[in-house]
Amino acid sequence: MILLQSPSRFLLRILQDRVISGEKGMDIDCHTVEFDDVRYHIQFSMRNPKVMVLSVALPLPPPEAILYDGLPLGAIEAIKTAYGPVVQILDPPKDGFDLTMKINLTKLPPDEEQRNSILTQIASIREVVLGAPLKLLLKHLASRAVAPNVDKLVALVHRPNESFFLAPQADKVTIVYPMRFQDSIDIVLATSFLQEFVEARRTAALNNVPSCMWSPAPPLELKGVSADALNANAGFVTFVVYPRHVEGKKLDRTVWNLLTFHAYVSYHVKCSEGFMHTRMRRRVESLIQALDRAKSDAEKLKKLVNGGSFKRLSLKNEGDSRF
Amino acid sequence: MDATARPAIVIDNGTGYSKLGFSGNSEPSFTLPTVVAANESFLDQTELLSSSNWIAQYNAGIMADLDFFIGDEALSRFRSSGLYTLRSPIRHGQVHDWDTMERFWQQCIFNYLRCNPEEHYFLLTDSPVSTPESRECTGEIMFETFNVPGLYISVQSVLSLSAGYAYLKSISDDDSDTTSDMTGVVVDIGDGAPQVVPVVNGYVIGSSIKSFPFSGSDVTQFVSQLLQERGELLPPEDSLDISRKVKEMYCYTCSDIVKEFKKHDKKPDKYIKHWTAVKPKTGVPYTIDIGYERFLGPEIFFNPEIYSADFSTPLPELIDNCVQSAPIDTRRALYKNIVLSGGSTMFKDFHKRLQNDIKKIVDERVAATNARHRVEVKPIEVNVVAHPIQSYAVWFGGSVAASNPEFFEFCHTKEEYEEHGASICRTSPVFKGMY
Repeated sequence: MILLQSPSRFLLRILQDRVISGEKGMDIDCHTVEFDDVRYHIQFSMRNPKVMVLSVALPLPPPEAILYDGLPLGAIEAIKTAYGPVVQILDPPKDGFDLTMKINLTKLPPDEEQRNSILTQIASIREVVLGAPLKLLLKHLASRAVAPNVDKLVALVHRPNESFFLAPQADKVTIVYPMRFQDSIDIVLATSFLQEFVEARRTAALNNVPSCMWSPAPPLELKGVSADALNANAGFVTFVVYPRHVEGKKLDRTVWNLLTFHAYVSYHVKCSEGFMHTRMRRRVESLIQALDRAKSDAEKLKKLVNGGSFKRLSLKNEGDSRF
Repeated sequence: MDATARPAIVIDNGTGYSKLGFSGNSEPSFTLPTVVAANESFLDQTELLSSSNWIAQYNAGIMADLDFFIGDEALSRFRSSGLYTLRSPIRHGQVHDWDTMERFWQQCIFNYLRCNPEEHYFLLTDSPVSTPESRECTGEIMFETFNVPGLYISVQSVLSLSAGYAYLKSISDDDSDTTSDMTGVVVDIGDGAPQVVPVVNGYVIGSSIKSFPFSGSDVTQFVSQLLQERGELLPPEDSLDISRKVKEMYCYTCSDIVKEFKKHDKKPDKYIKHWTAVKPKTGVPYTIDIGYERFLGPEIFFNPEIYSADFSTPLPELIDNCVQSAPIDTRRALYKNIVLSGGSTMFKDFHKRLQNDIKKIVDERVAATNARHRVEVKPIEVNVVAHPIQSYAVWFGGSVAASNPEFFEFCHTKEEYEEHGASICRTSPVFKGMY
């Protein structure tokens, strides 16, 4: 899996199970946490079998990103357009959460495919809520209308206490991410990964994608921003998005990919570490094989005091030596 | 919010199924088969990886190493396309293929749980007979690859025991026995390596652990054998899968085989079940009858000689041997609290049969002692505890343990790992009695 997926598997599975099981089933009360500190709490009780309550908590916003009523700009409208009558927002949200919704299972469309797509949409609640301001801006870009805050820097919540910046203009939007990692190995791998990213864009097949740049110092677009937001130990990544990237169906995917960029990079950094471990283990094994070849056969078969004998095990067999 | 404020992640990796979820929940978020289907077309080099091989792999498919699936998706991909090879990283309860295990964890964390491993403490589980090296490897992978802030590798048996206690406490009205002194025998029968583990005051008596060679997968094999011997038409490629479903849906434990045979013969309509399905290759529907397999399947735990000539100690006798090998002052407490865990203990009436059989053995011994020494020994109470969450009892115990605020102090932290290295994970506090 190369890209992180938009709907939350867990929520989707619970919603689908609930719809299928209809009248029977047990009470559910589960907390889940997703990357970047997004928490979900889903509740269902048999006393009210037609209704499920889903609460979402968002990451702590950094000082420069502005939230209205605890939610990003345009989130409530986005929810209403995406879900229609199936979902009703409860105000005030539950204690400790930023948004609580009541999902009315009777209002789901009877057609199975439509139903599944609405459930998938509900499970992608994170994309809808956090991505609302981004979507607004990009929609303006797609329709080539003049956005209300053109030429102004917008900061959006990306991770707890971190934000990413958008500089919208009439014909393109520039997005800048300050990348921060905690572990020193991660920083090194991320830096080379991001530089590779920029290199990959130069190959011929990828001419149509948004242009991408990486620089260790904050780029010019971020001139007015406080120094706090700008300390990034893995450099700054800049994407330039043109209208053709956000037309029609591509808008949703672009929004999701831009929202979870840090999680995506961190996922790939961890996968690369895993891959390197695989290669290291294979290398160790081949070296042990070379060592084994150097031993004479008599040495390999050691005799125990009671007449039994054992053969020296290689790295591969260490796991099942017990049974 | 720092890592101790967020719920810990509890992952129970078993031979057959892995249970993953967050602590504080009462059931795992995901239960998936522990298999990985990987696209192996580039990984067939047996020689040293030279630079030319690396470039070939890079050109042929950037991210070919990410082309793998786990769990149910893996099984369906494996069946539909010949490109993927199926691997199970865990055999007999222990990890033997670390590469596959690392990939499995990768997908679990990023695709299923969708959380950032740097922000959560982890609770993993381990079999009581696993080697310290495997714990070290686990710790290494967790700290190096995933950068977890803290890790605790616990023993599965102790978690099952605490799950049993938590469940009993939640359904009982009286407060008399709420002091969980963590003493009992855990009979853990999952998909691989069933074990009988005595736990006294929270720590495992390693020398008294007994293992039983037949597990859930053997019951499936046996059911499949019986069905085929009888001449039922099972499509060969699905036979194990069908036997497994038959086992899960229809098998039960009887109290006496002879009586059960008679019952089946007298009233076939009541006992014989039918299974209808469609052959995958031809699409032709077929029906098979399920009769004696329903009770003969689980019978291999009580009469292993019907399945294999190598092993003939029935499970109740094994449990009795285990308790008898434990220190003498703990035996009564152990008999009183025999806890079942694992999916294969969920057969109907399994616990009743086990209790009756063990009680028979114990009573015989008490009577013999009474007769020989002419004393009246107090009768020994045998109690087999069963509860509805047996199949994920270990996970539930882990969730309970990790929601305890002191849990975070017991974990090995990343700072300790960086200071001392992976050897900190070798010791399991459960064996040292640190509680």
